[in-house]
Amino acid sequence: MITGESPLGLVLLEMALLVLLGPLVTGIIQKLKARLQCRQGAGVLQPYRDLAKLFRKGTVQAETASGFFWSIPVLVLAATVAAGALVPVLRAGPPAFPMGDALMLLGLLALARFLTAVGALDAGGAFGGMGASREMTIAPLVEPVLMMVVFSTAVAAGTTELGALAAHRGTSWILGWSAADFLGFAAMLVLLPAETGRIPVDNPDTHLELTMLHEGMLLEHSGPGLGCMALASHTRQIVTLGLVSALFFPVATHGAGATDLLLGAGAFAAKILVLATYLALVESSYAKLRLFRVPQYLAIGFVCALTALALRIL
Amino acid sequence: MLLMAACYGAGALASLLARRSGRLALGVGHLAALAGAVAGLGVSLGVLLGDPGRTLTQALPDLFPFARLSLAVDGLSAFFLLVISLVAVAAALYGPAYLRAHSPAAGPARQAAQVLALNVFLGCMAFLVCAGDAMTFLLCWEGMTLASYVLVVSEDRDGENARAGLLYMVMTHGGTALLLIAFLALTERAGAFDFAALRAAAGDLDGTTRTTLFFLAFGGFATKAGVVPLHVWLPRAHPAAPSHVSALMSGVMLKVAIYGMLRFGFDLLAPVAGPLPASWGWTVLVAGTISAVLGVLYALQQHDLKRLLAFHSVENIGIILIGVGLAMILWRTEGAGGVLATVALTAALLHTVNHAAFKGLLFLAAGSVLCRTHVRNIEELGGLARRMPWTAGLFLLGAVAISGLPPLNGFVSEWLTFQALLGGASRFHGPAGLGIVFSAAMLALTGGLAAACFAKAFGVTFLGRARTPQAEHATEAPPSMIAGMVWLGALCVALGVAPGYAMRLLDAPTAGLLHGPGASAVVTARGPLVLSAGLTLSGISATTISMTVMAALLIALAAMAWILRRGVRSAAPRTAPTWTSGMIPTARFDYTATAFAKPLRFVFAALYRPRREVTRETAGTPYVVRRIRYAGEIVDLSETQIYHRVQRGITALSRTIRARSTGRIYGYIGFVLGTLFVALLLFGVGQ
Repeated sequence: MITGESPLGLVLLEMALLVLLGPLVTGIIQKLKARLQCRQGAGVLQPYRDLAKLFRKGTVQAETASGFFWSIPVLVLAATVAAGALVPVLRAGPPAFPMGDALMLLGLLALARFLTAVGALDAGGAFGGMGASREMTIAPLVEPVLMMVVFSTAVAAGTTELGALAAHRGTSWILGWSAADFLGFAAMLVLLPAETGRIPVDNPDTHLELTMLHEGMLLEHSGPGLGCMALASHTRQIVTLGLVSALFFPVATHGAGATDLLLGAGAFAAKILVLATYLALVESSYAKLRLFRVPQYLAIGFVCALTALALRIL
Repeated sequence: MLLMAACYGAGALASLLARRSGRLALGVGHLAALAGAVAGLGVSLGVLLGDPGRTLTQALPDLFPFARLSLAVDGLSAFFLLVISLVAVAAALYGPAYLRAHSPAAGPARQAAQVLALNVFLGCMAFLVCAGDAMTFLLCWEGMTLASYVLVVSEDRDGENARAGLLYMVMTHGGTALLLIAFLALTERAGAFDFAALRAAAGDLDGTTRTTLFFLAFGGFATKAGVVPLHVWLPRAHPAAPSHVSALMSGVMLKVAIYGMLRFGFDLLAPVAGPLPASWGWTVLVAGTISAVLGVLYALQQHDLKRLLAFHSVENIGIILIGVGLAMILWRTEGAGGVLATVALTAALLHTVNHAAFKGLLFLAAGSVLCRTHVRNIEELGGLARRMPWTAGLFLLGAVAISGLPPLNGFVSEWLTFQALLGGASRFHGPAGLGIVFSAAMLALTGGLAAACFAKAFGVTFLGRARTPQAEHATEAPPSMIAGMVWLGALCVALGVAPGYAMRLLDAPTAGLLHGPGASAVVTARGPLVLSAGLTLSGISATTISMTVMAALLIALAAMAWILRRGVRSAAPRTAPTWTSGMIPTARFDYTATAFAKPLRFVFAALYRPRREVTRETAGTPYVVRRIRYAGEIVDLSETQIYHRVQRGITALSRTIRARSTGRIYGYIGFVLGTLFVALLLFGVGQ
């Protein structure tokens, strides 16, 4: 069943690809949102320009920040990018040398989030604390549901390794879907805005203290540090989208030829584009939920995921 | 073999020395404890790395005419001895400086008593896990309880510590009573006290008796381990002890109870063939899941640093019990069940040593804060990272480890638990499978909440501005205390980055208990760098991860990100005040722990039943507010729902009895005679 094994070089190439394309996905979502709201919007390359600007700037650090503050962006970026190494991009099938599975991926993303929250408390302002508190309220509610979605596919495949999961699902994806897959995918669609920090859970476009979660934690970062944090959130977004496509739409082939790789790259781009369009549509057509309504919203995902699992096991 | 004798010698000598010398007792007593711990390490490693299946036995002098005392160290005993010794090394390094710095005014008598109790405590725990018969086991059990009681009430002589100590004594002796019944029922059948005879006697028990005895023993051990709802003593007693003793109580003493459960469940009471009764494993699994979730939820709302850590012990015992329960359910089931049982038990044992390492580290770091500031409420701390960088860094390390985040050791054992749960779920179709998966989801929730809790605990204690003068004038802990913490921190990193090498140590306990393949044959089948869990049911290769590769990747990426972080201009960063909407920033702008945990208090209000009281003092009109008083509190559901009811029942009962007790002597004589008559009657019927 598992034929292809990706060499380490290919894994690193895929990881680099995710990091480089992450800002583009954000740019596309922003452009789509602008068009949906009848605006012209900035070009799709705007996130790259922002990053270039940030990395050229100097740093202003809060007086109260401790020695940890400087290294927080470094560690957050490293953990997020390492999670990117675990997502199959060009081909299905496990890597030649075992690295990590879906649980490791979620763990690394949780590590990045934990460190971001710690960094937010470091400067000692109320905004950072508020952002950290809210983020750490939502995260424990999202993670179990996400894990249940992973389990619902893993129980069928007998593994939590994402490449092997994708290979197990094969190429006839939607034709082979059972009711459990549809429910699991529905749960994933509910969770996607929460995990990527978008409306209706979070609003990435605002610095208004009443609405922000993730942005609030970044307020005291500046210059290259803020650049690292921004790059980490772009990467996190594309990694999450990659996780969804590895779990539900693995079209990539197992072959190692150039055509196979090109086909895999094209398929991956298409999948990411579809999911990005979904995010843009949701962001343009819904309002942000009140913070204390978010658990109810996530409960929809929980019920879907639990039903998917139940169907799979019973 | 002879190392064993050295271990006893060191422990006993230490107690003697500690009793005789005055202030010097601190140094000498802890040195002796260190020597005992190192000897314990030697013994346990000797057994664990020696030929499998070997049991080290040692007869003890006969103290009682009816029972022969002995020690028998098999794989399981040696593993728990290893856990005890690892934390004891850190505690012995940390102890002297801590006791001197924390209470400089303490008299030599109190210090000597503390060191004596510490040595007795350590010795009893070490002997308990090595006990070869029921008598030694129970004697050490009681010695461990009494020594830790002395340590709990030794610190400050205020009413709260005394009440905590009393509650501890009452609860734990309730548990001991259950244990005593279980043991005596077995010894009465066996006619002897040693474990081999008990095992043989348990062989021909009928199912109901066997299950009753298991639940008696489980109840007794669960009280000691702090399983919800028997945990109420734990968050009171653990913080009251000196910090290195808290580390031992949380990191090690609770594990001794886990040892007891494993010894009873898989060894003494296990049927000769066939799986364990289903009710055992499911009870343990459900108790573990409930403990894990409730433990972390109550921890989230604590603002006393040491009490918060104590509640996390309840959570982690829950995680260990999930693994133990799953192993009980799967043991000796047909097909791949045996392999999965090994994975589950490996996860539980690995989490045992992992929890000892990171919880020990966190308690020691909390102790450093406590001895420098004398404040336990984290709302009154803040900004300590700049004044105590070592303590802060090591606390952060422990926080990442306990939250189950890669690349540290907490993640490894939780990953194994998840894999075992997933494997178990796909084995059992129907409600059983769904129950196991639900337990996995609760474990995921626990991990997320633990991360939230430690973001709060670390952030509010160590980051931001100092909120009180005590926090402002704190200084770094002395080097010997840091050495104790670094030892445990290094353990957390080593067990996280290269856990495959530790699997070799788990071979003897897993193979010995389950009579199946050892841990390393299952989990590190593809070399020590690769962890794999046997989900080989559908013919697909098992899930494999490599912590070492991931750690290397993380370091490489961090180096690259570091270059990026320095930016094009490598000018030194400017500093500026934190943005507080144009006002001058003060410590009151910092987010407090109460505020941080408030959203989660709202989300889980059904469990917390929060009570909130706001009173305003106004000057004539409601628009001029002089003062606002706020009081908030959450309740422990098991306390209000179970213990308060029991308390009311006991009070009512004693009122009734008081009404009957007239104070006249012949009335009492009548009661005694009546009781005697009934007892004789029952005895006669029994004959």
